[in-house]
Amino acid sequence: MLTRSRRSVSGEIPVASTADIAFLLLIFFLVSTTFPKDKGLAIVLPAPSEQVEVSQRDILHLAIRLDGVVEVKRGESQQIQEIRPREVEGLWRQEFASNPSLVAAIRTHPEAPYRFTVDVLDALQSANAQRISLQLLEEPAP
Amino acid sequence: MISKGFQKRSKPQAEIPGASLADMAFLLLIFFMVSTRFPRDEDRRIEWAVASAAKRIDAKQKDILNVWLQRDGTVYINDQRLEMDVVSDVVAPLYEGSGEALVISVRGDRETPYALVDQLQQELVSAGVVRVVFASRLEQRMQGQRR
Repeated sequence: MLTRSRRSVSGEIPVASTADIAFLLLIFFLVSTTFPKDKGLAIVLPAPSEQVEVSQRDILHLAIRLDGVVEVKRGESQQIQEIRPREVEGLWRQEFASNPSLVAAIRTHPEAPYRFTVDVLDALQSANAQRISLQLLEEPAP
Repeated sequence: MISKGFQKRSKPQAEIPGASLADMAFLLLIFFMVSTRFPRDEDRRIEWAVASAAKRIDAKQKDILNVWLQRDGTVYINDQRLEMDVVSDVVAPLYEGSGEALVISVRGDRETPYALVDQLQQELVSAGVVRVVFASRLEQRMQGQRR
């Protein structure tokens, strides 16, 4: 005990832990930074001159009314079925299974809120529909 | 000089010098802080549409052009308020400049009358734009409902 030399008091600020602090900061920012990635429903618009002729038989008409109800008309038949936007997904799966060249034609009432169209588009994309056309409902139902 | 003989011999140190690690970490930190890019245009106050099939836009950030469409029909592109009928004139050169890789992210208010959305679409078509995304918030559906 007596032979040991007394420890001298160090006048320096310990810097060894600064690295740890910096790394902690670095890791914190790396983990907590989230880059806002946009999400959405992608569609492909036709080229200005492009017009595709589709046989009436292959068209599934979906008319969105002002109140959000979707009127479904299959091809040439005049029968109208009223469904909710959510039910479009199941309907499309059914119809597509029986006719793989089906095209969905969404016609929206000019005054109907945009969200109804998004709902129907969402349902169709959930059902993996590829061929979708977006139009304005020309003769708004009274 | 005379006292040199009485000095203790310094022992070789077994520690790795850690003082410069801090500098490296700070350099990294500063590098990431400087190189991180944030979206250019300011967010508008809109009510988002929700969709459960919303997917990430498969394009580079610089190839995405946000077109804001507010409930009353005002259009904003790059923080500039535009009239609906000049949208195609604004978008067309941007589309050309991007090497036709531009993706338009339509950020429409959920309550916008569809006629305005359709008008915007017509403008985009006449600008030659092909890829359009209807930006929406992801809707979390219950697992059971999905089946």
